[in-house]
Parts: sequence; structure tokens; C-alpha cells
Amino acid sequence: MDIKEVKNQKPKVKGGFGDKIGEVIETSSAEFTAQCYKLTEAPPLGSLVKTQDKFGEIYGVVYNVETHSLDPGRRVLARGENMKAEEEIFAANPQLSKLLTTDFRVLLVGHVEGKSIHHYLPPKSASIHSFVYICRLEEVRAFTESLDFLSLIMNARIPVPVDEVAGACIRYTSQAHSDPNAFLIKAGKELAYMLSGEVNRLNSLLKRLK
Amino acid sequence: MSLDLSKLVGQIVDLAAGIKSKMGERQGKLEFALNTLKSSAADFNALKHKIESSKTTWLVAGLKESMDVRQAAAHCPDDSIVLASDGSHIDVDRHQSARCFLINIGMAQLQYGRNPGAQLISFPSLYFKDEEVAITSTDGRQIPIEGQLLGIKRGIEECHWLVERLNALGADLPVVALLDGSLILWRLAEQDYPDFVVRDLLIDGFLKYLNHLKQLSQRQRLAVASYISYPRSTEVVNLLRLAVCPHVPVDCDRNCSGKFEARDCDVVAGLLDRDLFTWLLSPGQRSAIFSSRSSVVTKYYGANEINFFYIRLDGEVARVEIPLWVAEDEKLVELVHSIILDQCQRGLGYPVALSEAHEQAVVNVADRQQFWGLVEQVLSEDGIYLESSAKSASKRARWI
Repeated sequence: MDIKEVKNQKPKVKGGFGDKIGEVIETSSAEFTAQCYKLTEAPPLGSLVKTQDKFGEIYGVVYNVETHSLDPGRRVLARGENMKAEEEIFAANPQLSKLLTTDFRVLLVGHVEGKSIHHYLPPKSASIHSFVYICRLEEVRAFTESLDFLSLIMNARIPVPVDEVAGACIRYTSQAHSDPNAFLIKAGKELAYMLSGEVNRLNSLLKRLK
Repeated sequence: MSLDLSKLVGQIVDLAAGIKSKMGERQGKLEFALNTLKSSAADFNALKHKIESSKTTWLVAGLKESMDVRQAAAHCPDDSIVLASDGSHIDVDRHQSARCFLINIGMAQLQYGRNPGAQLISFPSLYFKDEEVAITSTDGRQIPIEGQLLGIKRGIEECHWLVERLNALGADLPVVALLDGSLILWRLAEQDYPDFVVRDLLIDGFLKYLNHLKQLSQRQRLAVASYISYPRSTEVVNLLRLAVCPHVPVDCDRNCSGKFEARDCDVVAGLLDRDLFTWLLSPGQRSAIFSSRSSVVTKYYGANEINFFYIRLDGEVARVEIPLWVAEDEKLVELVHSIILDQCQRGLGYPVALSEAHEQAVVNVADRQQFWGLVEQVLSEDGIYLESSAKSASKRARWI
């Protein structure tokens, strides 16, 4: 889902939240894993999502999306040799959508208590079965006014390259700002400060901010 | 101590050598059998008369049409529903104090065509009440439901849940309901169960559900069939035994008692029906429809008399069993034939609806342990002291 699509959507849940896209199935202090409600509607890499509990909202950045068999003992098989379009595979094998799942992993980058935004890990991790929402535009804008959350991404130990996740996140969140270009430049300066001793890495990352 | 395979290798090599030496002889028998089939097919009425007047030691298929029929599949309907039911169970464990058993029915409902969709569901049922865990006669005799009888009951419940689901479905699309295994409850007859057991499970159970399906099929285009992969039946081969038998009338006990492997009909001994039809049929074709003349069918099944045909797939020959009311409806037979073929293509050689139903039903070792663990936990939370046998405890805590 593109942030432009988020811009045009009306809230589907009372209270003004964005689209509910999944549910937490594994959780820890620095991240959580959520299962998507729809197999093909996972949030994009680098997008900002949130969960909510009685203490407030927990914000995170999507760093990995996986689609796999629900039963680890069953492998997905190629079925479309004689078909012209991928949609035909699902139409001809309607049980597939019940046997596969899309999960996404989220790196926590902050939390909101009342009107205060904090760019550090929340004291309490997301709860199992919490709903996961795509953040609305105004939430993305408010959360990324300060770029302090970037350090949580750059210092994360995740199986996906952190530079890719950081680049994707900055590109995604820039669209929520009235001047996306200015935001990209601001983010570039912040990265230059963080990676001052790693010129090659910085150069490579800055190229991802276009 | 686990199985010592090194002590088995030599024996397995001997097994392979034995199989290889029989293969040449088998090919000769097969050619003779095929020729006999073709020549016997020409005289349908004579063979039919021979069957009716015979007394054989083997089960011989009933003849309904010429034996050499090779029927191509009709076009599979664009919109259809396939509903499959399969089951598994956790047997009574006499080493546990809680006397109960569990039957888990898995169902797959797959809709194809303009509105494709799937429902994969399971229905676990726990049986623990006195009247549920045993079959009781009117004079108070009790037969506990366990072991083989529980397997039979499970098969009946698979059919029961098909009826429940179809009642709720109300589809206006053609529906084929599939079961795994035979529709003929052989084991009820073979094991000499008392009449009240046969009445409870077969007459008031399985046949009641088949009747219900028959009624449903009068209101909608519905066929029910069971699918047997890699069947070991010999009923049609036994028809050929009858065809080559020189005695009139055919009476095995009177004419050939004690002459094992020296009988005229032993020219086809060792062949299976699937061997015949692998050679006779091309992929996609079905054989003639035959009827089952097994004693349990002739005695109890009535209007649900089980008929069957063989279907040639790319990799194997399968047996499809259908009740009489399906067999006598040409359109329903075409539906069953084309749908099963389509299902096997989608399921890479086995009907996909049945394999998905099986996945919903399966209860593995870990599930079994968890189930008994849960029973223990709930009972102990209720303050119920559990005894279990020392044998069971010794299996759980393995020591040196």
C-alpha cells in the first residue's frame, strides 16, 4: 500500500485510526511479528505502523515481509505452468489462500503517550493479538518531525540490511511532509552525522534517498 | 532400542529378488487376462447367467455392462462444489483412567468457477458418556467402541458430517461429495459382530446417512462417491476366473476343493483389478460399472447397493465406489468421473479435496499427547485424582 493510497482513505474504525491490517502473533521488547489479514495486502517495507494498548500507542517500522505455508511441514508447489496469469492459480486452487499466510516484522521505533511522542523503546512491548494499523498521514508527519527514531533503525540487529530499511523508511515517511524533498535533505544530514566515520556507507545510503 | 536396519538389509535384498522373479510370469498372466476380458465381453448375457448360477470361494463383481467398456470423461462443469470428508481418531487408552475416545472429522469444501472459494474445517468430538462409548443391545449386552469398531464408527461419522454440511449448504451448483476408502463396511460382516452392533452402526447409522444423501440428491444435482487409491480388489479378475472355469455350474467347493494353484482359473491368480485396467484404459478413461456382490451389501444395502468403477489416472488406477442411485443416473456418473479426474489433476495425482480434508483431520503423536495432557489437567483442576497404569508411566519416564 502506497502512502498516497493511505492519504485518500477514510478511517474504517471509530476513533480515527488508519486501516487495520494485521494482528501481533509474536512480541518482544524491540520488535513484534504480525500476521496480515489479507495474504496480498502486507504493508510496504519501511512503512510506519502502530499498535495500541491502555498505555498509549507503540510505533514501529516494517523491516521484513514473508509469505509462507501456515503448516511448516507443507511446501508451496509451482502450479502455473499452463496458466497465463498468476490470478488463475488461486482461482483454480481456492484452498491456497487458506493454507498460506503473510507475516510482517516490525522494529519498534517509539511510542506515544497522550500527546507526547517518544523516540525510544516503550516500557511495555506490544501485546499478543494487538491489532496493527497503518499510521495515518498526520501521524507519520507528527512522529517524524524529529528524526531521533533513526538511530533505533541504524543500530538494530535484524536479518535485513538496516541501510535498506532506513532508506525505505525515510522515502516512505517523506511523503507525509508538505515538502518531501526538504525532509529527505534533513534526513540525509542526520545520517551524515550518524555515519560520519563511514563515508562509503553514507554515500551508498544517500543514493537510496532519491 | 531402535530398529537395527543392518540386520534387515539382506532380507530386503531377498524380497527384491523374489518380486523380480515373479514379474515375467505375471506379464504372461496379464496378457491372457486381457484377452479373456475382451472375448468374454462379447457374450455379456452368458457371463451374467454364469455369475448368477455360480458358487465361488472368491468375491465376484456383479456385471452391469460389457466388461470392456472404456469411457472417456465428459467435460467438467465450469462451476461446481467438491465437498470431502475424512477423519481420524484417538482410541480409548486403557492405561488412562478417563474412558473416552475422540473422533476428529476434517472437511474441505472447494468451489470452482466464477466464484472460487474454499472452506477448510475440522470437527473434533469427544465421546465419554456411557451410551456413547459402547453399543448396548435391548437385553443389556454391551460392546465397547474401541479398536476396529471405533475405526468403523469414525468412517460412519465422516459420512454423517457430509450430510450435516450438505443440509446447510443449499447449493444450486453441482456438488460431488467425496469420502476416502470403501463405502462397503466389510469389517462389520467379517468380524461376526452381533446383530445389534450391525443395526446400530450400519442400518441406523451409515445407511441412514446414505438414504439422506439420496433424498438430498432428488432436490439438487448431488453425487456421493468414495475414492480408493491403489486398490487391492480382485472382483473383476475373479469374474475372469469364472469366465475361464470349465465347470457347469461353477462350484469351487465341489469341483476344486484342495487343488490350490492347480485349478483352471489359476491362470489369472495373483492379478489385481488395477493391473487389468492399467492396461485396458487410457489416462482419463473409466471402466464399466460393476456392482458389489459382497454379503454385507446384498443383505443390508438395498437401494444403496454399492457399485464401482475403475478410473485410469496418469500414475495409477483408482477405484471409485458409488451407491446405486448414482450409478443409475448417467449424468451423475459423468459428474463423478469428470470431477474426480479434475480433482486428481489439481491434487497432483490424488483428489485435492480429500487430501485437504485429511490435513484437517489428522491427529499426530504430539496432538495425541497434548490431548491426554489436557484431559489430565482439566480433571486435576477439578480435583479428580487420576490413576494411570504403571506401564503408561514407564513409557513416559524412560530410564536406564
